[in-house]
Amino acid sequence: MPKPAALALSLVVAIAIAGRLSAQSAEPALSDLATRLAAMTAVTGYEQSVMDSLVALLPGAVRDRAGNAVLVLGGGARRRLVACPVSEPGFVVGNVRDDGWLTLRRAPGRVPPAVERQLEGQRVDLFGRRGLVRGVVAVRSIHLTRGRGVPARSFTVDSAYVDIGAATRADVSAAGVEVLTPLALAKDPQRYGPDLLAAPVAARRTACAALVLAARRAIAEQGMVPRGESVVVAFVVEQELSGRGLATVAHMRGPFAETLLVDGGPGEPGGISRGADSLARRWPALGPVTRWALGARYFGTPVETTSLAGAEGLLAELGRWIGGEP
Amino acid sequence: MSGGTRLALALASIAQMFGGFAVAQTRSGPAPASGRLQAVEEVLAPLVESYGVSGMEAPVRETVQRLLPRWARTETDTAGNLWLTLGQGEPTVVFVAHLDEIGFTVTGIREDGTLDAVAAGGLFPWLWEGRPALIHTGGRSIPAVFAPPDSAAPPPPADADPMVRVDPGTGSRAATEALGIRPGHTVTSPKRYVRLLGSRATGRSFDDRVGSAALVLAARRLDPARLGHTVIFVWSVREEIGLEGAQAVAAALGLRPARVHAIDTFVSADSPLERRNFAVAPLGRGPVARALDNSAVTPPAYLDSLVALARHRRLPLQVGTTNGGNDGSAFSEWGVPDVPIGWPLRYSHSPAEVIDLRDVAGLAEMVRASAEGW
Repeated sequence: MPKPAALALSLVVAIAIAGRLSAQSAEPALSDLATRLAAMTAVTGYEQSVMDSLVALLPGAVRDRAGNAVLVLGGGARRRLVACPVSEPGFVVGNVRDDGWLTLRRAPGRVPPAVERQLEGQRVDLFGRRGLVRGVVAVRSIHLTRGRGVPARSFTVDSAYVDIGAATRADVSAAGVEVLTPLALAKDPQRYGPDLLAAPVAARRTACAALVLAARRAIAEQGMVPRGESVVVAFVVEQELSGRGLATVAHMRGPFAETLLVDGGPGEPGGISRGADSLARRWPALGPVTRWALGARYFGTPVETTSLAGAEGLLAELGRWIGGEP
Repeated sequence: MSGGTRLALALASIAQMFGGFAVAQTRSGPAPASGRLQAVEEVLAPLVESYGVSGMEAPVRETVQRLLPRWARTETDTAGNLWLTLGQGEPTVVFVAHLDEIGFTVTGIREDGTLDAVAAGGLFPWLWEGRPALIHTGGRSIPAVFAPPDSAAPPPPADADPMVRVDPGTGSRAATEALGIRPGHTVTSPKRYVRLLGSRATGRSFDDRVGSAALVLAARRLDPARLGHTVIFVWSVREEIGLEGAQAVAAALGLRPARVHAIDTFVSADSPLERRNFAVAPLGRGPVARALDNSAVTPPAYLDSLVALARHRRLPLQVGTTNGGNDGSAFSEWGVPDVPIGWPLRYSHSPAEVIDLRDVAGLAEMVRASAEGW
């Protein structure tokens, strides 16, 4: 089994290389970055890997005590906040059976209906102590249901048995999987149509990708933020659980003159819906809160679909917002 | 979160973001394949990753041809079955594995550009709804998605054929047709061969790419010059929609075969979700004599001979009964004994079937033994 020190060294090397790539490479295309972010997993409460990647992409960004990735643009006293949530619905291992099968518990927080049904008969990724472990969620064999009065569809999270190829509890442990190991559907984002991207939480990840690129442009073009102002760019955790990430930014970095929350939502793919958000009542330090939601078809499903061309419009608008345009 | 978990997540995601650079460092689990299992994977993986819904098996057939030894001279009949005849003289023994996989067939194109598609083969449609899709036009595979179920729509009649809607993202019938998509084309979901822990693997269409792989592996190890009789390997078409390819083979051979071995899935109850009244064949304990299913019963004397052969060759062999039909039963009207041999499969006809590679290796050995020594 690799020693923790070796793993830590691997992480340092990986981040260093990631940083070098991000510094040396040409600016990534929004479509590519959105696809890459959509391929990543950030189960509520277990978002740190994505945060590490975002920090690597944003020179000067840091992780705060809540685990958010935070970057400050400009140095003025009047502060504005633009934030994008990173979390997604997911599961953790709830128990390991003697015969090597795993049972699940849903990660807490508000999730779209029937999210657990999405697991049935699909591949999942588990993020164990020793690395990524592949698995599948068991499903009845259709041949064995015929003529037997077996209800064909009765799947809930309580009937989710995860098969990682283990035959014993010891096999599971040796793979670095244990109670609380997070897991989610294996992701393979699908590009289709003229400019569409389908994946779990595709719209949210695409919105975050647009914010990453807007922030990188602001870093590259110093002076973009109006004199006397600063813009805090935050990628926040646990938005559907308690909003702990956004609240921590408000308390640590606020008060803000205004807050823009960038996210995904149901709607025409690539369209941007704008509206006020009630978060300001919960945390007054956010100031007035506006929400921009990048529209998605099939919202909340594994093929949530947004338009990458539409996301280019969001990227342009984010640049203007950071630059202080109304 | 534990430090280890966090490290794992971090490394995995950074690898994802930067083109998979760290994947080799972060993958846990599968034991390095032994030479025997590696040989299985080299044949099985490309077969699993070929697409071939019933009636459009050409890509799979081409993969089989590519994987066969250079000396193999194959023929394709008018139904699309691929034949490889070895040795000469009687008795003639036939081994049949099917090329096709379950999927969907396009039945219509709507004004909004989406497709109606009906299941080809037995499947639970909800395992595909809300998933990525590929539309196979015969010339290329066009990415799309299976639309999620419409929760406001009335449920279909219980006896209706499973139907799905496929969205190629075009927005109009004309734009869909401009892509070359037509009724009759097939639809699947993207698939990959993926190793799990130990010697386990997951993928879609192991049924019956494992059987197809076993025939290829057996052919690689057989010496045709030393066969004292005729052995015919057939990779058949359209099994999932009614054993149609095998029926053509049986009709062509008539009374000639002494016996037929369907090399096909043994759907196993080796899962916590299944009743264990029958079909209990654990993964990893070897191939299975599929002695009784919904289409055929192996004559007891033939079953005894198969078991004796396995013992003589010291090959693992389970004996069991499961549900489903097999290609060998198409020969029954000619009085040809059907002696099907399978391997245990979990989660049959789902997007995430699971096998044990040791069973595949054992199956190939069993095919070879049955061809050479019986």
